[in-house]
Amino acid sequence: MTLVHNWHLGRRMEYPYFESRPKHQFAAIFNINRCIACQTCTMACKSAWSYNKGQEHMWWNNVETKPYGGYPQSWDVKTLKLIDNGENTWYTDEKDEKLSPYGVYEGDTIFEAAAKKNINQWAVGYIPEDKEWRAPNFGEDVAKSNKPDEYSSLPEHSRWFFYIQRICNHCTYPGCLAACPRKAIYKRKEDGIVLIDQKRCRGYRKCVEQCPYKKPMYRGLTRVSEKCIACYPRIEGRDPLTKGRPMETRCMAACVGQIRLQGFLDDNPKNPVTWLIRHDKLALPLYPQFGTEPNIYYIPPRWAPRAYLRQMFGPGVDEAIEKFMVPSRERLAVMSLFRMTQTIIFEYKIEEGPKVFETTIHGKKFELFNDTVIGYGEDGQEIVRTTIEEPVHIRDPKHYNSI
Amino acid sequence: MKNAYVLFKRYGVALLSCAFLSATLYAAEETAPGVKGVTEEEFTPAKEVLTVKYVEMAKPYHMDVESLEGFFKDAQGVTVPLQMQDKAFPNGGGSVKSAEVKGIHDGLAIYFKVTWSDPTRNARAIAVQEFRDAVALMFPLGAVEITPAEHFSPRMGDREKPTNLWHWKADWEADLLVKGELEDMENQYPNMHDDWNFNPYSAYYHRELITSVEVLSGGRAAHNLLSQPGRGRVVEDLNAEGFGTLTTQAHQDVNGCSKYEDGTWTVIIYRSLITEDPHDVQFVPGGTTYFNMAVWNGGEQDRNGQKSISSQWHPATLERVAWQ
Repeated sequence: MTLVHNWHLGRRMEYPYFESRPKHQFAAIFNINRCIACQTCTMACKSAWSYNKGQEHMWWNNVETKPYGGYPQSWDVKTLKLIDNGENTWYTDEKDEKLSPYGVYEGDTIFEAAAKKNINQWAVGYIPEDKEWRAPNFGEDVAKSNKPDEYSSLPEHSRWFFYIQRICNHCTYPGCLAACPRKAIYKRKEDGIVLIDQKRCRGYRKCVEQCPYKKPMYRGLTRVSEKCIACYPRIEGRDPLTKGRPMETRCMAACVGQIRLQGFLDDNPKNPVTWLIRHDKLALPLYPQFGTEPNIYYIPPRWAPRAYLRQMFGPGVDEAIEKFMVPSRERLAVMSLFRMTQTIIFEYKIEEGPKVFETTIHGKKFELFNDTVIGYGEDGQEIVRTTIEEPVHIRDPKHYNSI
Repeated sequence: MKNAYVLFKRYGVALLSCAFLSATLYAAEETAPGVKGVTEEEFTPAKEVLTVKYVEMAKPYHMDVESLEGFFKDAQGVTVPLQMQDKAFPNGGGSVKSAEVKGIHDGLAIYFKVTWSDPTRNARAIAVQEFRDAVALMFPLGAVEITPAEHFSPRMGDREKPTNLWHWKADWEADLLVKGELEDMENQYPNMHDDWNFNPYSAYYHRELITSVEVLSGGRAAHNLLSQPGRGRVVEDLNAEGFGTLTTQAHQDVNGCSKYEDGTWTVIIYRSLITEDPHDVQFVPGGTTYFNMAVWNGGEQDRNGQKSISSQWHPATLERVAWQ
């Protein structure tokens, strides 16, 4: 084991390989508040990569209902139990903007739990049986009722559920990569995408077992495992549509609810993804306590009980929800870039516009400015331009009912 | 003196930490994270020698256990004790305590017969929780004499000390019975594509739909032998030089057959004595080589390093051919 820094946990942790971060890391932000579980992303992925024989049970992208839903069934509850040592708490009194923005996790990661339990493998895990993979959303739309006799009111509903959108997290410290005894799994230096070498894989299912998010999947037909490939041909700009520029994945580009923004985590504070994750801390990692430093980030749902959300997204939840409910001028501008283009945005610029109105939200003053947000591609060229207020087109009275 | 001081100032920390690191590593007897070193006893081959008996044989029409078994009746076997694999992560296995190995050759081909007891027959690896029964024989590559001084690891070989492995798989054998193709998904899940009907006697299934598209099978496109439907054999020919280096050979030369009866696997693995492949072990009548072995019990989720292994090389001497 070597010691590596995991900024989600705010501390160093044990991992079988040295810390080796890519030049820029494949990442995305999913706004849970906007998702209606239409599964368009799921089908976009399915129809691109897993429509073939032996892949019937595979949903590299899936949308599941929380708290009861899950694909494979109860994957998160089962993994959380494996790392539970009764003291999985966070120390949040001191934070460091760069090294420990959420505080310090004091419990065990999947790697540390394995070392403690002395089970002679790299991480704790389990193999979900075939029956647990049958549907992309077991427990669909089953609500949790905390107080069944009362009506719900914001900010937290007493009767609630929400949808969580899941793809491979292309983790910085992947459990699957650590688990593979023959190094058939690799993380690309250029973009941090995690892939299974289909020639080297021998179907041992160690990755299926030790990925806490259960995203590598075994294919009985070819007797080897497969996983989300982050649509790497599109990321490499090989689709002619974006003229050689990196293009968003199928699941991102297909999102009709405009909940997704894809990009690369890097050091540029004006990169919309980096800004929302590292600077604004609006978007949070899923189950950071697993210790793999996942790279899909979520804007947590404002109506779900906070204790549940804190377990799922770590201690940054309260701050993120507060920020989401009353967005700042810059935040509103950056969030306007969600789903404006399928060419990946590397930098944004805001041109200030006039004040439109002001009001009070949850007791806080809110001012709306009609700023213009410009997104720039990898080559620095402008690729998208939008305003906070959507343009309104009023139809000529003569054609009210015409199409 | 000044030069020495400058050198020490520049590289001293690095040198000291190197020295410290190697001392620590030596003390911990670790060669890599998760891998424990091999002990001295393991470098010493077993005393008992397997005599690979020369047998005059007319090659039977059916290369199955029933036809081949008779040729082994005068061959003296060795019993190889097996144990849990506890050196490289993931550790595991140990459910099979021993296996009997017999060998014969007819001047053209060599046949090894391995028998071991296993209460369950696991000849499928289609569902995610299914693992196959398997057995592997390993030989040092090239003409080597294994002595304690040689330090030729009996566990998958080592760097610059490559091995040739023959890996028999129960599911590959089951595949062959299905018209020389793969035992397919629809054997396990007749209607998986639409309703996950677990009834194997389902009223219909869309053969056309599930057999029409051959593209997008990663393993097949990458020419992974495990994924190929027409591999036509039950033993995989591989090389390894240490943990995690197992690699399928481009040229496959080994085959075999098996029988499962009364809780016992009988597996016969055969190959011609000499091949043209430089990555293959070569057998010379009258000569001595070494073998080692491992058994996987699919019912115990054995695969990869989770296996029952022998921790010593075993000498095997081929009888001279009796020329008329």
